[in-house]
Amino acid sequence: MALQRVLVTGGTGFLGSEIVRALVSTKDYEVTAVDINPPSLGTGTFETVRYVRANILQPEELQRVFDEAKPAVVIHTVGVYQVGDARYGKKGREMVFEINVTGTKNVVEAAKECGAMALVFTSSVTVLLDEMDAEFLNADETWSTGRATTTYGQSKTAAENLVLAANTTDFATCSLRSASIFGPNDPACMPILHQCIERGETPFIIGTGTNLCDFVYVSNVADAHVLAVRNLLNSGTAAGEAFFITNGEPTTARDFCIGVWKEFGHVPSFQVRIPKALAWWLGWGAEWVSWATGAQGTLSRGIVWDATATRYVSIVKARRILGYQPRVGLPEALRITCRHFQKQIDGRSSKA
Amino acid sequence: MPSALSLLYYVVHPQELRSIIQWKVWHNPVHERDESKECESLKRCFYFLTMTSRSFSTVILELHPELLVPVALFYLVLRGLDTVEDDMTIPLEKKEPILRNFDQILEKDGWTFTENGPNEKDRQLLVEFNVVVEEFKKIKPAYRAIIKDITKRMGNGMADYASNAEHNTNGVDSVADYELYCHHVAGLVGEGLTRLFVEGGLANAALLKRPELMESMGQFLQQVNIIRDIKEDFDDKRRFWPKAIWSKYVTNFEDLFKPENKELALSVSSEMILTALTRADDCLYYLAGIKEQSVFNFCAIPQSMAIATLDVCFQNHDIFKKNVKITKGEACELMIQSSQNLRLVCDVFRKYLRKIHHRNNPHDPNFLKISMVCGKTEQFIESIFPSQKPPIDVVKSPASAEEAAKTKAAAEEAKWDTYYMIAAVLLTITIITGSMLFIAWLAGARFDIAWTEFRGQIGQLLGSGSPSAAVPSIVKDASGHSEL
Repeated sequence: MALQRVLVTGGTGFLGSEIVRALVSTKDYEVTAVDINPPSLGTGTFETVRYVRANILQPEELQRVFDEAKPAVVIHTVGVYQVGDARYGKKGREMVFEINVTGTKNVVEAAKECGAMALVFTSSVTVLLDEMDAEFLNADETWSTGRATTTYGQSKTAAENLVLAANTTDFATCSLRSASIFGPNDPACMPILHQCIERGETPFIIGTGTNLCDFVYVSNVADAHVLAVRNLLNSGTAAGEAFFITNGEPTTARDFCIGVWKEFGHVPSFQVRIPKALAWWLGWGAEWVSWATGAQGTLSRGIVWDATATRYVSIVKARRILGYQPRVGLPEALRITCRHFQKQIDGRSSKA
Repeated sequence: MPSALSLLYYVVHPQELRSIIQWKVWHNPVHERDESKECESLKRCFYFLTMTSRSFSTVILELHPELLVPVALFYLVLRGLDTVEDDMTIPLEKKEPILRNFDQILEKDGWTFTENGPNEKDRQLLVEFNVVVEEFKKIKPAYRAIIKDITKRMGNGMADYASNAEHNTNGVDSVADYELYCHHVAGLVGEGLTRLFVEGGLANAALLKRPELMESMGQFLQQVNIIRDIKEDFDDKRRFWPKAIWSKYVTNFEDLFKPENKELALSVSSEMILTALTRADDCLYYLAGIKEQSVFNFCAIPQSMAIATLDVCFQNHDIFKKNVKITKGEACELMIQSSQNLRLVCDVFRKYLRKIHHRNNPHDPNFLKISMVCGKTEQFIESIFPSQKPPIDVVKSPASAEEAAKTKAAAEEAKWDTYYMIAAVLLTITIITGSMLFIAWLAGARFDIAWTEFRGQIGQLLGSGSPSAAVPSIVKDASGHSEL
C-alpha cells in the first residue's frame, strides 16, 4: 500500500518538527514539512521528509506548494502568540490575527483546493481559558468558546471556528486545543522560568499557590496529532470536533515552576506569599511604571491573573475518541526538557 | 477519665469537642442489632467482636441486618487467622497447616485452639472459637462460600510469608512485593466484603467488574497502617516498608530511626505516602458503587480516617519515634462527615489532600509527584461533583436557548407569585386587625385615652420631658402623699 501523504505547516517549528518526527516514526506517512524558515541548526531533519519553504500569508505560493505535495491530510500548526505585557494588551493584534486567522483561512482553502481529505488544526486551550477573571475546573468541550479576552485566545477561536466550519463529508477537519506546551527547544516556557532563577524571583508566590493548571509535553501533543490524522482517515469520528490536549496531570502552577527550577538545581531557600489583591495593585502600579519608562516589568495585572487562576480541563473526550494517552508524564518530561535546555546554556557559555 | 492535658487540648479546640458531643449525643445507628432475638453463641460472637476490634466493631454493629452477622463472622474468622499468624511462640510446623486449612476448620464443629502464647491479646477468641463455627453454619451458603474462599487464599498467603525466612528477616523487597503483601492481608478482605455486599444486594454489581477499585480500598487502609505503625513494627522486629523505597535514601533500615537522618527518613515516608495516595481516587470511585447507607458508612469511615492519618503522618518525623494518631475529636468529626453521603466524603478527602499539599516540601525528591497526585484526585472529585456548569450558549444550541427562555419565564412567574402572596398576607392581617379594633370599639374601648397614654410613655422613655409626660408623675406623687 502506498504511504499516505501528510503536509505539516510550521513543520520546522517547535511543535511542527516534533509532529514530523512522530509521523516519520510510524512509517505510515510520506511527510512534507512546509515552513517560512528552514530547519534551524541543531534540530534533526529527516532524509525521507521533503522540506519546502512557503509563507502561509502568500496564497498563490502556498497553493503551488500544496498542489505539488498533494497531501491526503494537512496538519496546520502555524501560529504566533505573545508573551509578556503584549499578551494582555492590544499591541500587535493585527499581526496576530493576520497569521493566526488569515493564515488559517489560506491553509484551509489551499488544502481543499489541492484535494486533501482532511485537516488537523493545532488550536489552544486559551480559546476557552483565556477569559480574564474566570476560573475553569475540569471544563470539557461542551463549554462554548467566544469569551476569550486575550488577542491570542480570540484569534485562535476565530481560526478554530473557520476550521470546524469547513468540515464536510469529503473534507474532514478537527481541532486540537493544546495546553501550554513545553519540551526541548521550547521557545517560551523554559526560558521564562529559567530567567526567574537569575532574577531571584523564585521565592515569591502570588496568591495561594493552590490553583491547578494544565501543561503538556511536546511529544504528547505530537502523538495527539498523529492520532487525529489516523482517525480522520479511518473512522472519522473526530470530524468536526474539538479536543482538549493536555498531559492529564493538572498541577499547581507554583509546583510546576518548582519542578522546573529543581531540575536546574535550584530550590527557593524561603517562600514569600503575596496576597492576590496586593499583587493586583502592585501589578497595576508596575504597569504605570512600565508605561512611563517604556521598560517591561515582571509584574502586571494580567500576569497576576495568569499566575493565580485555576484553569484545567478534562481530556476524557480525546482519550475516548482519539485514543489519546499522554505517554510522557510530567516528571520525565521536565527532566528531558531541562537537561536539554541546560546543555544549550552550557554550550553557549563555553563558546563565549 | 480524660487526662488534664487532653482537657486542655479540647479547651483550645472547641470544634473537636463539639464533634465528640455531637457524635455521642446525636448519632443514630442506621440499623440496630436486636439482642433479644440472638442466641447465646451469637451474643458471644458479638462480645468477641467488640473485644477484638476497637475501630471496626462500631461500623460492623450498625450494618444492615442482612449482612450484620456474615460480616461480623468474617471479621472474627480473619481475626482468628491473624492471631495464629502473629503468635511467634507457635512453631512453624504447627502454624502452617492451621493457616493453610483454616477454611476447613470453619466447618469443624467445636473446633478450638488453646496453644496460643499467654501474651497473645486475642487468644480467648480461639479458645472459644466453637461459637464462631456454630454461627458460621447458620448463615446463607452463598455468604459462607465467599468467606471460605477468602479465608483459604489469605491463609495460604500468610503461610507463605510465615515460611519465607527471607521475608521475616529482611522484610519486603520491591514495591510489587509490598503491594502483594498488602493484597494478601487487605486487598482480599476488600474483595470478600465487596462480594458479600453485592450478594446481599447492597452494592452495585459493577464493582466486581472493576477489581482494582476494591483492591485499592484494602491497599489504601493497609498501606496507611503500615506507614503509621513504622515505629511499633520496627520495635517488634517487623519491616513492611519496601527496601526498594528506603534503600534509595539510607543503606540500613535501622538508619531511618537515627535522629541525624531526619531529612532522609522524611523523604522515605513521603514516598510511602505518595504510594498510598495514588489509591485515593479509586477509593472514592468505589464508594460511589455502594447502594445502602450502613454499608456506605462501613466503607467510608475507615477511608476518611486513613486519609486523615496520612495527613498527620506527612512530613512528621514523630512517626519514627512514637505512634502518631489523629485526635478523638477529629475522629468523631470524620465519623459524622463520613456517615452521610459521598459528597461529604469527597470534601473530607479534598480537605486533607489540600493540607498535605500545603505542607509539601520543595526539597523533597517526590515533591512534584505528590503535588500531581493531589491534583489528580482533586480533578477526579471535580469530575464526579462538578462545581461549575457550562454556560448556556444561545447561538450554538437553540434547544438549550429555549430551555433558558423557559427557566426565565418560570422565574418571572415565581417572582409574581411571591408578590401576590405578600399582598394576600398583608390584606388578611389588615382585615383581622381592623375587625378586632372595630369589635373592641363596639365593646367600649377608649382608644383616645390609650393614645394619650401611649404618647406620654413614649415621651418618658425618650426623656423629652414633654408636658403630657409630666402629668402621670404628678398623679403618682399625689397618690403617694395621700397614702401618707
